[in-house]
Amino acid sequence: MAEKAEKKLEDFGRDMISEIDKDLSPTFKTLARTKSNVIFDESMGYIRLGNKVEERTFVNVGQARKFMQTIAIANKCKKFLRENSHTSIRGLYYQLKFSLGETLDEDLFSEQSESNPLIEDLEVALSLKREDLNLNTDRKGVVAGPLVLRDRFGGSEDIIDCTKQGRSGWMIPSDVDNGMDFKSVDADYVLVVEKDAMWQRLNEDKFWKKENCILITPKGQSSRGCRRLIRKLADRKLPVYCFTDCDAWGWYIYWAIKTGSINLAYLANDIAIPEAKFIGVTMQDIKDYDFLGKLTINAKEVDIKRAEEMLGYEWISRSKGWVNELKTVLKTKKKIEQDALQGPRLSFVGEYLKEKISKKKFLV
Amino acid sequence: MDVSTEKIFTQFKEHSVAEFFKKNRQMLGFSGKVRSLTTIIHEYVTNSLDACEEGGIFPEITVEVKEIEEDKYWVRSSDNGPGIPQKHIGKALGMMLAGTKFHRYVQQRGQQGIGASGSTMFAQITTGKPIKFDSYYDKKRVHGELSVDFQKNEPLMRNAVVEETDGSRHGLIVEGEFAEVKYDRSSFSVYEYIKRTALVNPHAAITLIEPTGEKITFPRSVDMLPPKPREIRPHPLGITTNDLMEFIRSDKESRKIGSSLQNIFSRMSAGKVAELAALCPGVDFERAPKDLQWADAEKIVKAIHSGKDKISWIAPETDAIVPIGKDQVEKSMRSILAPEFMAITERKPKIYKGGVPFVVEAALAWGGNCGRPVADGHNSDIMRFANRAPLLFDAGGCAITEAIKSVEWKRYGIRDFENEKITVLVNLSSVHVPYTGAGKQAVATEEEVVDEVKMAVMEAARDLQRYLHGMTRERVRVERKKAIMRYLKQLSADLAELAGGKAKAADLEKKLLHLIETKYAGKIEEDESGDANIEEEISAEEEKVDE
Repeated sequence: MAEKAEKKLEDFGRDMISEIDKDLSPTFKTLARTKSNVIFDESMGYIRLGNKVEERTFVNVGQARKFMQTIAIANKCKKFLRENSHTSIRGLYYQLKFSLGETLDEDLFSEQSESNPLIEDLEVALSLKREDLNLNTDRKGVVAGPLVLRDRFGGSEDIIDCTKQGRSGWMIPSDVDNGMDFKSVDADYVLVVEKDAMWQRLNEDKFWKKENCILITPKGQSSRGCRRLIRKLADRKLPVYCFTDCDAWGWYIYWAIKTGSINLAYLANDIAIPEAKFIGVTMQDIKDYDFLGKLTINAKEVDIKRAEEMLGYEWISRSKGWVNELKTVLKTKKKIEQDALQGPRLSFVGEYLKEKISKKKFLV
Repeated sequence: MDVSTEKIFTQFKEHSVAEFFKKNRQMLGFSGKVRSLTTIIHEYVTNSLDACEEGGIFPEITVEVKEIEEDKYWVRSSDNGPGIPQKHIGKALGMMLAGTKFHRYVQQRGQQGIGASGSTMFAQITTGKPIKFDSYYDKKRVHGELSVDFQKNEPLMRNAVVEETDGSRHGLIVEGEFAEVKYDRSSFSVYEYIKRTALVNPHAAITLIEPTGEKITFPRSVDMLPPKPREIRPHPLGITTNDLMEFIRSDKESRKIGSSLQNIFSRMSAGKVAELAALCPGVDFERAPKDLQWADAEKIVKAIHSGKDKISWIAPETDAIVPIGKDQVEKSMRSILAPEFMAITERKPKIYKGGVPFVVEAALAWGGNCGRPVADGHNSDIMRFANRAPLLFDAGGCAITEAIKSVEWKRYGIRDFENEKITVLVNLSSVHVPYTGAGKQAVATEEEVVDEVKMAVMEAARDLQRYLHGMTRERVRVERKKAIMRYLKQLSADLAELAGGKAKAADLEKKLLHLIETKYAGKIEEDESGDANIEEEISAEEEKVDE
């Protein structure tokens, strides 16, 4: 992968040099990441960028600085790849924050907010993820279950057995593609639970062992690495089930996993999991499980707002079940946390999940 | 009452015109030390220019000023004009309102015949000395001394000597001593006056020798004499009752008021006289002109102005007016102000008060030596002229100043008119310039004149705006080029390294530089994204004006 990325970067530079040789301003093409160019692809089932192409060029006063900065990032990433070293996008920013010359009162970059969108530009232009360019993102998300990985990193190779990670599980790294592959995946499905606390509960019960599943928590909104790992597991034909709070935020976490998000539309094919199914908690559950009726809490303004917003998304508004759920939230102004399922007894969560999965009671 | 009326009236004497002006010299421009000196020289130079033009001669005028003691100067003015014959010289230089000009309806600089006699008077009352004259004309030379008899308004000539000459020399030299005056280079000074005179009289060569001995020459810049203005009869709509009385009484040829009106005025046919007579039932048009009474004259003037539905007049003829001319103004402004840009408007003749034709010329010059240098930069400069004579004083009450100040300069790309390196020149040409006073330093704010000056200045301002707009454009272009070039070195280095091939950073830099220079060498391509906003950028820059 590293060689492939390096080659892409070199070709990227060579194409521009041949343009200069033809007396043309160096250019590159990328897809517009404006909101108007974000579409929901029905056949794929995820949110992706449209086909609006934007050209970046150097000999243009509005673009010259950004163009130069993008090439500087590309060149820097090529070095990282060659040296086989990684850094964060902040680290990259600091590497490139230097003066353009004694006579110029100007830095190559003056703020990280300048370099971040250019990294995305480069990812789209090269059809590479930033992780492929040795740029790390923050790790978030934990996994446990019958999954064994091979991790070649920092000059050594480690075998990671996710059944042997004790109480804390294996923390999902930012990059699960480069220098990382599955040695074995012996699970029946993937269970994604929103909260870390719920994950710990299920891990203690060895739920993943009993159910032969891979238990993941993104700890809230899922990171790029976490989504990528789920995508790769889904590629192994494992069903993906999501379990979140019964509130707009929890549901949003589910939808981001399923369809991808507007912000990461350019990565949709790599991170969206349209196969993902929603277990709960649902408004229907409140009716089905008596005790839950007493454990609801009042929805906050942000929950209401988010619910209204979600009703506006075309890919949600077409689902009758979801529209009902959201409308119920708006009507009752109630919500319920996944933790509430521990109401009768701590192990009830497991029973709830088993019942829902075996009876295929998913919200679609 | 302590004093009897009888006694008061024994002190009441009839004052001559000269006596009146002696007591009211400020009305002639003799107020303030610097201004008085400028007025003296203005009168001499104006006379010289008019005389040369009448004689068909390219004027060569030399003015010399020397300091005798503090506030006391010796002045000498000489020209190469036709000179003044002995029998006229007294009237020309020593009698008020006695010039050849007053009753003539023709465009001339000096208009009221006060001029040079005023300077003679000023010499007398400040130093007690007469002026000296030396006139060469028709194979003769007459020289002597001259003063004014204030009581009688008559010239007093002394020691006059007449000599025969070979006729090779002609011209007039006047010299005199004047006190209560001061020489400097301020905006009201002799220097400024001469400079401005030279500016609007490019056919004249004028030399000024300052008290320091410095000799400043404004050379002739055109080889053409201005055409001689033609004398025209006044248009009825342009006159007042007083004018009518004076005109008719000085008409020695006509026997009846009716025929006198035809004789005096233009556009006054026998038919029009009959129409007037019908409008003035009580006035006998058959009487002798000398018998015209004020009340009747008043009725006639009222009838003349009674409106289109009662009596309509053909517009006055306008071709008697001779403006300076676009080429002439341009040449002399270029040679004296060396501006970066200039625009000149020449407008068609217009009429004020319904009957007085006039022509306005306006020029805007920007950059170079334009404006007036001040301690912290430049002020704008307004140069006013009437019939090619500079108006230095009384700027505040002048129609020209008022018109220029009323222009919305911001609309023409001049953000701060007062502090811009700009010179606005306006020349008003007319057979009868409506001066505000006998000092002839300001044009009365006749509505038609103010409007016309404003239109002329705005027309020139539009050209200037286009030029400034182009400059903004050019500046934006250069700035853009520079903005891109800043990133050349870094990009070239990164690109060479990124490609990892044979391409060298220095070569890429050279090629890119060539690319940028080609693109921003000429007109900016407007269709290119990002650069398409150049017009916006320019208008944004120009709009800062309004903030």
